[in-house]
Amino acid sequence: MEVSQYLNVFMDECYEHLQVLNQSLLTLEKEPDNSELLNSIFRAAHTLKGASATMGFNKMASVTHAMEDVLSLLRQKELEVTPEIINVLFDALDLLEILAKGITEGQEENIEVAGVLQGLKKYLAADLASERKEKEERRTTLQLRYLPEEIEKIKAAVEGGLALIHLSLTLEKDCLLKGARAFMILRELETQGEIVRTIPTAKELEDEKFDDDFIIGILSKKPVGVLVQFVEKMLDVKAVKGEIVEVDKLLVERRGTVQSTTTTSDEPQKTSQVKASSSISPTVRVDIKKLDDLMNLVGELVITRSRLEQISLEKGDQLLGETVEHLSRLTLDLRDQVLKTRMVPVEQVFSRFPRLVRDLAKETGKEVELRISGAETELDRTVIDEIVDPLVHIIRNSVDHGIEEPFLRAECGKKEQGVVELRAYQTGNHVMISVTDDGRGMDPEKIKARALEKGFMTPEEIEGLEEEEILNLIFLPGFSTSKEVTDVSGRGVGMDVVKTKISALGGVVQVSSVKGEGTTITIRLPLTLAIIQTLIVQLGEDVFAIPTGYIEQTISVARKDIRKLRNQEVAILRGEVIPLIRLQDFLGVPQAKNEHLEELDVVVVRNGERKLGCIVDTLLRQQDVVIKSLGSYLGNIDGIAGATILGNGKIALILDMRAVA
Amino acid sequence: MKETKEIQQQEETVQIVIFKLGEEEFGVNILQVREIEKLDQGITRVPKAPHFVEGIINLRGEIIPIVDLRRRFGLTLPEIGYNSRVIIVEVGDALVGMLVDAVVEVLRVPVSAVEPAPAITKGVDAYFLAGVAKIDTRLIVLLNLERTLSSEEAKELNEAELG
Repeated sequence: MEVSQYLNVFMDECYEHLQVLNQSLLTLEKEPDNSELLNSIFRAAHTLKGASATMGFNKMASVTHAMEDVLSLLRQKELEVTPEIINVLFDALDLLEILAKGITEGQEENIEVAGVLQGLKKYLAADLASERKEKEERRTTLQLRYLPEEIEKIKAAVEGGLALIHLSLTLEKDCLLKGARAFMILRELETQGEIVRTIPTAKELEDEKFDDDFIIGILSKKPVGVLVQFVEKMLDVKAVKGEIVEVDKLLVERRGTVQSTTTTSDEPQKTSQVKASSSISPTVRVDIKKLDDLMNLVGELVITRSRLEQISLEKGDQLLGETVEHLSRLTLDLRDQVLKTRMVPVEQVFSRFPRLVRDLAKETGKEVELRISGAETELDRTVIDEIVDPLVHIIRNSVDHGIEEPFLRAECGKKEQGVVELRAYQTGNHVMISVTDDGRGMDPEKIKARALEKGFMTPEEIEGLEEEEILNLIFLPGFSTSKEVTDVSGRGVGMDVVKTKISALGGVVQVSSVKGEGTTITIRLPLTLAIIQTLIVQLGEDVFAIPTGYIEQTISVARKDIRKLRNQEVAILRGEVIPLIRLQDFLGVPQAKNEHLEELDVVVVRNGERKLGCIVDTLLRQQDVVIKSLGSYLGNIDGIAGATILGNGKIALILDMRAVA
Repeated sequence: MKETKEIQQQEETVQIVIFKLGEEEFGVNILQVREIEKLDQGITRVPKAPHFVEGIINLRGEIIPIVDLRRRFGLTLPEIGYNSRVIIVEVGDALVGMLVDAVVEVLRVPVSAVEPAPAITKGVDAYFLAGVAKIDTRLIVLLNLERTLSSEEAKELNEAELG
């Protein structure tokens, strides 16, 4: 129960470390000699090991431990960075991701780790012998040395009746969190006397930079036996030896000649500090729920502001007017800032793609370079989580279908290495993400043939299409141009899934392609899902909001122009037949006024390829609204996406046009 | 835990918010009541919601569903009048408003005065009840809010109606 409290923090950190590992390993593959990189990989694995062990996720701890061991051999240059090792490390990383997922689902125990562990340990076995020998050597050289002034102090203390005692401790081999344990031991011992020095130093102990044993020099009044017993009682202590040391037998440490063990352990520490300060700005972890609440309050504030504006207009007081105007600006700024706090860089998603492209390229025997730009572009967190799958799909398509085999590329006079470019940038209230490849491009003729073959269209219909419209046929459900079904893509789910997902986010997907030169798929997404642009319409006494993302256009239709086709009312718009529904029938709202009007206002909405005209009473205005959920009590109601509070405090329901159309 | 402790300290009494549906008096434990609101803003109807959900209101920026208790219990249909109130209660993690004809008072009732409810009390099925409290000549019907406002059941009913 206590653990669950920390689980979220642990998982967050876990994913962060996994991301670092993934990125660094990818780079390491290209720069096998980069020792800085090795250090950062080692640190991430090491931290993960400690954290997972503390949380009691033993499988994750054992895998990270084995990784750490291999990495430490690489670091000490006892092993060489080979593609083989990189692959084994990647395997381990994949397993860690599975384990992390397993942990959230409570399934960690059931995941098989033996295979990967064996793969890792293969590398350890070869060097185990030499490592063990080295450890033995290190153990014998563990000696406490003191600085001259410390010796002066000890002399004075001994004259005052204290004794200097050296306690040599050995911790249990399987002790988890050795650093924390050592720290606890030191702290407990401080109640028994004054600790002058330890070897390794207290800092190194805390950072877990020691094997299983260390020596503590302590000034104490207590007899040696008492101290030894005191320490022996503590957890994870395997053995303690204590001896009183005479002052004149103390070893003096000369300054400047730092022991070799400290140099090796100090170096990565320094670089890590430099790195930390350069790349990470101070942050606070905040529960997304709190941000949602904050957003809610700000939404309220915006609404109250409009009320106040109305009152101020009625009163016509200049001073009041100016103050309200100032308040308005502040409120909008506040809203923008709150929205910003919910934003995260798309890097969070992009960072997994280098690995994806690497693996895909290996699988398909192609050479592909992934270029990423604009990874710092920010999107609302809720949007970020949703775009992963569509992007994975698009990138898979690019590598699998877009980029040609190296020999084919050479024949066309292209560089053998294909390029997939992933770009993100912001325009106004939207973020654009595009995936461009310099592959074979799409062939409009093939697409046409396919559409005919599948019976999506008649030959006449196809002839009338613009080239762009032809390309857009790939978004039709069940469309797939690749003849062979590969492991990579073409699993029966195609671009239509991508399109559905993006539309659900209020976004748009576009494709452009030149045969032989490449394809670009562009996704346009709203900055946030919390605020959407809507068209406010009136139906009887009720007011509804229709998200403009679904709206194709609004038209006015004369009653006499409405025809009946197979019991379905339709309107004909520029030669196109558009089925009509009366929204009040769909929603069951009584007292709609449009029954008697001669000119009807119709909102034409579009869901995928389907168009539908919704007859409403009055079009009121366009308005940005803050989406509020109907709450867990009502849950999901068909046709209702949520509610919003209008400037006058009234509630308008937001229609989910996917259910209507 | 906290609830029972408090009751013990106060010599085994419970505080009950008493309200009216028609002429009958009902009660809910005050610990479950968040607040009581007048209905001056009107209720926004929600199409396709369960029939006993009158609609939603805006409670300082929060959307609160309003359950019409008369419809919920299948009593005679209500008229929203001058005395009508919404009692906002916490059920699980959700806030729900109960539309009642009037709120009468808050009463401290000895636990010993609460008895199990008969199968049907004043037209309400015992399934929805926590018991009845007899105070002098008054008979106050205590609601089991978890059951009265169970959203699970609300959803099921909703589906049944649509299907």
